Amino acid sequence: MKAFRNPALAFLIMLLIGLVINFGFNSYLQLMTLFILINCVMAISLNLVNGYTGQFSLGHAGFMAIGAYTSAYVSTKWAIFPPSLSLFNFLLSTILSGCVAAAFGFLVGQPSLKLKGDYLAIVTLGFGEIIRSAFINLEFLGGARGYSGIPNLPTIPGIDAGRLMTYLYCSFWLLVTFVVIWRICHSSHGRAFLSIREDDVAAEAMGINSTKVKVRAFLISSFFAGVAGSLFAFVNNFITPNSFSLILSINAVIMVVLGGMGSLTGSLAAAFIVTLLPEALRSVQEVTGVDLRMVIYSLTLIIVMIVRPEGLFGKKEIPDFWRKYVRRSS
Amino acid sequence: MSDALLKVENLTIQFGGLKAVADLNFTIEKGQLAGLIGPNGAGKTTVFNLLTGVYLPTAGNITVSGKSTVGLKPYQISKVGLTRTFQNIRLFKNLTVLENILIACHQHVSYGLWDCVSRSKKFYLQEKQNTEKAYQLLKVFGMEDKALAEASSLPYGAQRKLEIVRALATDPKMILLDEPAAGMNHSETHQLMETIAQVRKDFNLTVLLIEHDMKLVMGICEKIIVLDHGVKIAEGTASQIQNSPQVIEAYLGVAEEA
Repeated sequence: MKAFRNPALAFLIMLLIGLVINFGFNSYLQLMTLFILINCVMAISLNLVNGYTGQFSLGHAGFMAIGAYTSAYVSTKWAIFPPSLSLFNFLLSTILSGCVAAAFGFLVGQPSLKLKGDYLAIVTLGFGEIIRSAFINLEFLGGARGYSGIPNLPTIPGIDAGRLMTYLYCSFWLLVTFVVIWRICHSSHGRAFLSIREDDVAAEAMGINSTKVKVRAFLISSFFAGVAGSLFAFVNNFITPNSFSLILSINAVIMVVLGGMGSLTGSLAAAFIVTLLPEALRSVQEVTGVDLRMVIYSLTLIIVMIVRPEGLFGKKEIPDFWRKYVRRSS
Repeated sequence: MSDALLKVENLTIQFGGLKAVADLNFTIEKGQLAGLIGPNGAGKTTVFNLLTGVYLPTAGNITVSGKSTVGLKPYQISKVGLTRTFQNIRLFKNLTVLENILIACHQHVSYGLWDCVSRSKKFYLQEKQNTEKAYQLLKVFGMEDKALAEASSLPYGAQRKLEIVRALATDPKMILLDEPAAGMNHSETHQLMETIAQVRKDFNLTVLLIEHDMKLVMGICEKIIVLDHGVKIAEGTASQIQNSPQVIEAYLGVAEEA
């Protein structure tokens, strides 16, 4: 159990932050925090494929859609646990979302991961669009009208804690995602992912089954994309197929590239920036009078890519910077 | 007859109309240090690619310790115990020297994903074992102080050496070296010759190397196979090769009759 002490500590810190946000800030900011958490899950999971394994996937929104719809369906149609234990219903539906998304990840990954670079990007892009149009035409999932009535997470009776429970639920899953992917990446299996990114011919010659490793990365990544979708469904209570358009996939890629391909903490930082920057720029509009949000947003991205083409953190993680700082000052 | 570790029978590969390797036969015995030479474009690297499963032969058979490896994928052949280095260095450039070696150790890692996530005893134990093994290998080559340097930051000669170290980390029975001395100066080559001989003894290895540096080949190889246009034109010891008229012809051309 010692291995889970740090994650538990991190959860406590998240709880403290959550208390501040949900009692101290307005509803709008509370919602923004939730979106940051979801985007963090998205960015980290995509980084495993795009950053660590070096395979360019553009279908993350598809997996997220599958996860969101699975959760929506399971949480409204099935009630396995009694209302007093309804939290377990939510946990169950999120886990199921991940599993269904991972199953699709396997189906898509197995044949298409033999492709490289642009080709893989096109296939995954196509997959995302197919999933979206499939949901538009699936009447039992609401079709183009979307799926409404997704329940809220249970609240603490008698206390108006804002979105505290939803926040804690998302934080919990972000921690799970981060710990699982971080620990896999910092192991022999993670080095196998890296070897594929660096040189797959050499990796094969060193005894690494590149197809298996790539599919594995894709599977884990799509599992957590499904989880992100599930969180998205619970935060919004309403989803439509168009919530999961190509833009969402692109956004995830932006986060990975901006944070640094292969830097998980970089992805966290980038998810923070990419979610908040367009919102923060709303105040600029009040001064200028015209909506320059997207102009400034894209300019910022372009400038960052010119100044730091390897992303904000490059391949380094926050602890690496910390170590450097300690060494320098001692 | 002593035991043949690698046996190549009638090995042929055709790219369209070109027979890059035609009807090649040779055996390498256990513990032997053999050289594969020939003029540019003779098909030496193609032979390596066939042996390691990068190419599928059009015809013929390859057996390693009695088992056929034709049709196996490169990673499976690596598990059989055949490993290689590359002519144009293929290190994992952006990773550290240590990581490069640890990746080669991956095929012997038995802990699963859950062991990673829960950071189990098995995980720590195997990580420790592999790291120690990597440092030991580096020590043999006098590179242990470079363990945490990025592979691309190493000087050229050290990168070549690292490729050999990485190949050794897969615990091979036989190692194929593709031009290990390419681009090295005289003293570096000399040092490399000694290291190869040393490693062969220490690790009980069989070595097959491609090399253009005749001094190196003639100096350490017990058996030399000469290829020209995909066909074996000579096989034997250094002195036999040096006196073979076909070899002289392949390298220097035929003397014109006056």
